[in-house]
Formats: sequence, structure tokens, C-alpha cells
Amino acid sequence: MAQAVTTPLSQNILRDGLILPRTPDPAAMVIFGASGDLTARKLMPALYNLALNRYLPSGFSVIGVADTALTEDEYRAHMEQAVQKFSRTQPVDRAVWQSLAEGISYVRMPFDDKSGYGRLAAELDRLDRERGTAGNRVFYLATAPQFFSVIIDRLGSSGIAKAGEGWKRVVVEKPFGNDLKSAQGLNQAIHSVFTEQQIFRIDHYLGKETVQNVLVFRFANGIFEPIWNRRYVDHIQITVAEDIGIERRGKYYETAGALRDIFQNHLLQLLSIAAMEAPPNFDADSVRDEKVKVLKSIHPIDVAKDVIRGQYGPGWVGGQQVPGYRQELNVSPQSTTETFVAVRLKIDNWRWAETPFYLRTGKRLPSRASEIAIQFKNPPHLPFAKTAVEELTPNWLVMRIQPHEGASLKIAAKIPGPVMRLRTVNMDFFYGSSFMVESPDAYERLVLDCMLGDATLFAREDEVERAWGLVDRIEAGWASQSPPPFPNYAAGEWGPPEADALIEQDGKRWRRP
Amino acid sequence: MMQSHSELSARTFVDVHAIQEELDQVRWGLHDGAGSEAAQHAAAEARASVLNLIAVVGNEPELGEISSVLDRLSITNPSRTLILLAQHTREADKLEAQVSAQERTESGHRVSTERVILHAHGEPARHLASLAAPLLIPDLPVILWWPGRPQFDNPLFDDLCELADRLVVDTDEGFNDADLTRLLEVARRPKARASIGDLNWARLIAWRHVAAQFFDMPAMLGRLAHIHGVSVFHGSDGSTAQARLLGGWIRSRMATVGIDVPIEFRPDDSLEHGVRRFLIYTGGDEGPARFSMIRHRGGRLSTHIRLGDQDVAERTVRLESRAIEELLSIELTLPGHDVLFEQALEAALR
Repeated sequence: MAQAVTTPLSQNILRDGLILPRTPDPAAMVIFGASGDLTARKLMPALYNLALNRYLPSGFSVIGVADTALTEDEYRAHMEQAVQKFSRTQPVDRAVWQSLAEGISYVRMPFDDKSGYGRLAAELDRLDRERGTAGNRVFYLATAPQFFSVIIDRLGSSGIAKAGEGWKRVVVEKPFGNDLKSAQGLNQAIHSVFTEQQIFRIDHYLGKETVQNVLVFRFANGIFEPIWNRRYVDHIQITVAEDIGIERRGKYYETAGALRDIFQNHLLQLLSIAAMEAPPNFDADSVRDEKVKVLKSIHPIDVAKDVIRGQYGPGWVGGQQVPGYRQELNVSPQSTTETFVAVRLKIDNWRWAETPFYLRTGKRLPSRASEIAIQFKNPPHLPFAKTAVEELTPNWLVMRIQPHEGASLKIAAKIPGPVMRLRTVNMDFFYGSSFMVESPDAYERLVLDCMLGDATLFAREDEVERAWGLVDRIEAGWASQSPPPFPNYAAGEWGPPEADALIEQDGKRWRRP
Repeated sequence: MMQSHSELSARTFVDVHAIQEELDQVRWGLHDGAGSEAAQHAAAEARASVLNLIAVVGNEPELGEISSVLDRLSITNPSRTLILLAQHTREADKLEAQVSAQERTESGHRVSTERVILHAHGEPARHLASLAAPLLIPDLPVILWWPGRPQFDNPLFDDLCELADRLVVDTDEGFNDADLTRLLEVARRPKARASIGDLNWARLIAWRHVAAQFFDMPAMLGRLAHIHGVSVFHGSDGSTAQARLLGGWIRSRMATVGIDVPIEFRPDDSLEHGVRRFLIYTGGDEGPARFSMIRHRGGRLSTHIRLGDQDVAERTVRLESRAIEELLSIELTLPGHDVLFEQALEAALR
């Protein structure tokens, strides 16, 4: 017979040695915007794959909330179709789906309908009783941003956000505001109901394996950190280039532009992780403290000198003739929305003082590429006769986020022969060649992290507000100028000529990613 | 996924220096006659190699099977691979090496690997480790994969263990208690000591994961301290090492907090091979509970919790039926000694 133990177990010893994430507590996820595109394309397939791979706890339940006329069975069928269409693993395992679907229910209501929240509360109580969700809730706002505040307000006033035992968390999709004021307003609204520790602001870029790999690359390899500073780095270029146009998102894009759509979040995230100091550990606040310090240290931008905006006209991309931005669906023929932005900035701290960072993003550029590229300074003197330092291509270290995730280092080598001639060669590491396994979707990682209460890969209040502060400064600068004669670059070009001039006046050139 | 696979070259050698030279040639695509586009690509990019892998096979048919497993493994683990076909019982001395380079493309990624097949008869077959050692890529871990039951008494086994960082076997391949004991000795001996990986242990990951998940739930964790028995139902044909290891695992884990768990093994002719059901019984002040996992056809595991006479939670998850190369791949990514495995093995033998 088993021996009696006098003290209860403080941890699950059966988990020792399993190199797998901890299982979250049983919980109910309430998805607002349950009949929308994001739920169908990303959320439900992510939940299915988490269930398939045993990451979800027993009793995990989903309540879909939307104002679409659907019965519960119809909603489940709709979600099953979504999973069949968008799951990264195929074919869909029917028994696993069935097991997940048993915990899916649907509440039809407008997001501002007070009585609807009463029905939602009753459904959550039922799940606590019948499926053991123990008062643990994730409120996932997968709606258009204009509904965020009202949903938060109703969750607070109905008592759902605070009721009973268990943890409560809220996930907010981007865009988190559209300027500093609206972001502060939204933060204030959410804070009236939830504390900062309960808020998970998604930037799905941070859920990408390869973005996390930049942190590993920097902080798990002893050879890079000593040269990762102003003494050895000439400058850094960060590019998020897209070859696609705005597709069917004209209505949204007209109000956002490249500055809000990509610069405010993805580009500044990449800047933060490229420039940050090593955190003492990988917990949420340690990492985010360091990222925020980078944003705080950005030298005030002189918009007239340091920022270039562009808008694409008709052109050719990948052998296809494509329309200009002003000809796209739901776009004004006189639109002054930017589809390209290039920014030169400096970071005022000991590591980076006077080292320029060049950031650019745009639509309808010649290729799709996201990368952080570091150009190192040339050696001060070359001992080889008749070979000038200027003839050498500098060393580049490039961390590619997509496509072809990996890193490459450009180094000088001798061309064989009796004469000392140098040539630049590339050392390439393809992430995919060493780990040719399918990476989980960013949403799987982020949903699981949220359920485990780990906010490391989510944006914090001060981070979001700092980023918006920067965007506001640029917007204010633009407002005081007349817009450039748009369109000022043809689809298939690397932005307007002024973007080249921005970097060339410093004696540097944009990389061709 | 788009896949392609091509063999860039294959030549036969007998001298270690010639083999080394040929390996360099194929590694960097430097062959005069290899001006093909594939070879140029191979030369143009740095090679990603993550390990050296030595596989030992007993006969020619096995060589074919193992080669195809290694082909598939190279997608996730680009490596320098040495396959040793050591037939010391065949009389006439013989030593022959075949060097080849493979290139695989999958979803736009290209992986290039080199392979050496060393075929020896008679006395050279006993000393193949001396030929293998200089052919390894420096500074990368050496994994020795011995399919089937290792020849524990063959000096080649010890020589290769001396060379290797990790020995990978499959205890499902007819390992009896004596074999399991020998295996544990290899992990614990002072010389020619390698860490042990077992494909059968990798097959148990899902069972261990799901069993642990029961007690991740805060409401259930307290019950784990009141575990009073475990039943393992398994097919009765072939090796029972898998069931033994699972029982050994829970026994060894609970022993760390001073709890001795009685394990009941229930072999059943009507069940398919391997573990089919795993039941954990707990008692204590909170009343009796049963945590069960049942394996179903089609790669699924259903889990149930019964508190008293009430079923409270059920779910179905995937129980992957993993191919040998996938199991190997798991074992290749585990660092150093797998203390948990060694403790489970020890508890299974008690």
C-alpha cells in the first residue's frame, strides 16, 4: 500500500522532464466577434491545433458571442468548416474536433445589449458547474476596434469580469487605438475593469518563432553581444516589405496607412528587440521593461528631415500588372494615405548613441521581406598592398524574419591566386534547414501564453503608448507640411526616390533584401 | 509540401584518407564532374549540420531499411551519417566504404548531407570504430543508433559507446529484463559511458503528458499525494518493455516524494501490442478517484476522470503513431543524460 504523506504536493511531479508547456487551468474563452474573419481564420484553427496536440485542459470551453443569427449547431458547423479550411494540420481529426466542439456554445447578442450579458453570465455559470471551468475566463475581443470600449464597459457593469473565483483575462487585438489619445482612452477604459496584469494586447508578430529567435540569437550566443554597439556597428536597417497591395482592406487602410498599420507595431517591435539590453530573465516584465527603455530613448524625430512617406501608383510586381493605391477598392481617388514610410532615428543611450537606425515598410514593394540588417564598421586599416578599405564591402549580419528565416553574415575572403584580391562571400544559415519542422502558428503560441498568464509576448500599456507617441509626432509633422505629390513610387519599386536620398545623404545605401 | 531528393554522387573507397577526401569533395560540391546545378547549389551555401550519426546494422536487407529511415530523418536533422555493416562472423577480411551525398528540398528549403557506408567482414568488422572516428565532423555531438538488440558483448559496442555522446535503442525490439539491465549499466558505468535514448520511451511521451495534465488542474493536484495504485493494460505479444517503462516512470516519480506505488500489469491477448490503457487510482479525504487513459484505433487517446461514481471530465486528444525517424528525431534533440528515463528503467526492473 502507498505510504501516507504528511504534506500535500506543492507541484505536479509527473510533469518533471516533460519538455512541453504546462497545461493551463480549465477555462472558458469568450470570443466577441465569434462569427468574424479572425475567429474563423486564426482563432478557431489555433484552438483546434492546441487541442490536437494536448495543450488544452479538460473542460476547456468556448462561448462564441456575435450578433449573427445562428443556432448553436449552426455555429459549431460553421467553425468546423473554418477549421477544415484554415487549420495548418490536415486532415482534421473528427474525434478531436468533436471533443473540442462539445465545449463550444454560442450566445447571440449585440455587443452593447445589457440583457445579453445576463445570458452570457448564466452560460459561464453553467460551464463552471458542468465542465469545471472554475471561474477562469479569457475574454477575447476579436471585433472591430470600435466595439472594444463598449464590451469592456458591459463586462464591468454586468459583474462578469469580476464575479466569483478564478482568474479573468482580456485579449485585445490590434489596432490598439489609432493615436496616443485614443490608446490612452482605451487603456483607461480597460483599466476601469481590468488590471494591467489581466490585459493581453496582441501583436501577432511577437508570436512568430523567428522573431523570438532573434532574442535567442542575441542573448544565447556569446559572440554577438560584445560587438552589438556603437563601437562596431555602423548602422542598422529594419525592413518590413510587402509585395501585396491592400487587398480588400481599403476602408481600414484609408484610416491607418503604413505608419499605423506596420510602423507603430511590427517595425517598432523589431527595433525594440534589435536594440534592447539583455533582460535579467525572460519573464514578462523584465523583457518588456527593456523594450520600453528603447522606445523611451529614441531621440526626438525631425519629421521634415527624418521621415519619408510614399504612395504607390500603378506598376508591375512579380510579372503582374497591378493598379495604383488610388485605384484600389474603397480608396479615395484623391487619397493622401501613405503606403510607404521610411524613418531615420537615433537612440540616445550608451550602447547606440549616434548610430543611425533606418526603418522602412511599404506595400507593393518588389518582394516580401522582413529583416533586421546590421552593417558593421570597416576595419580601420588594411595591411594588404593595393587594397583600399573603401573597396571592401562591409560586414553585414542579417537576421531574416521572413521568408527563408535565418541569418547570414557577409565576410571578406581572398580570391585564390598570386595576387591579394579580396571578395565578399555570404555565410548563410537557414533556420528551416536545421529545424525542418512545421512551426506552430503565432496565434497558437499567444493563446496558450495568455491562458498560462504569461504576457512576455504581449504589448504593455507603456509600450503601446510610447509607440503611439512616436506616431503622433510624425503625424503632427506631416500635418504641418503639404503632402508629397502622390503617387510617388510605382508598384514594384523600393519606395519613392526621397527614401533613397534619406539614407544616401548619410553615405549609406538601402540593402536589397 | 514540395519535396525532392537527389543523390549527388556515390563512390567506393577503402582507405581512410581517400574517404576523408571524398567527404570533403561531396560536402562542398567540388567534384570536377559534379558541375550539375544541384552540386553548384550545394557549394554555394553553408552546410547546416547538427550532429554525427552512427547507425549499426547486421545485414544487407536491414541496411536498405535503415537507409530509408535515415533519408527521412535528414529532413529534420541534417547530419554526417556513418552506417556500419559489421559482419565479424563472415570469414574473409573485407573493408569497403561507399561515400555519397544527398540533397533534399522541401518547401523551398534545401538540406544536404553526406553518408558513408562502411562494410566490413572478419577482423576489420571488430575494429570499425577506429575507422569511424576520423570521419566524424568535429565539435558536433555523436549519436550511436543501434537498431534491434545491441550486441552488448561485442567489443565494437563498447568502442562505439566510447565514441558516442548518446546511444539510441528501441527497447520494443525484443528487449528482455537482462537486456534492460545491461542498458542501464551502460548509462552508469564509469568508462565507455553514453547517455541512453530509447524510442520506446519517446512513444510514451503522450501517455506521460496526459497523465501529468490530470494533475495540472489545481483541484486535482492534491489527489496525487494519495495515489494508491496504477494499472497498465497491454498487449501480451512481443516485448512488454513499453508497459514496464510506463509503470516504472510513475513509480520512480512518486518515489521522489516518498510514495511507493503498487503497479499492476495486465497483459491481455485480445489487446494490440503496446500500452492500451493506463489507470491511476487515488484516495484520501477527498474520496476515491480514477484517472484513465484509453488508446483507440486511429491514433487517439481518450481521457476520463471519475470522482466517486461521477464522471467529471472527458476529452479526446491525438496519440501520434510516430514513424521511427520521428521518434529518433525526438531522441536526438534531448540533451545529455535522460535521468528520468534511467530512473524509470531502474524502477521497472525492481
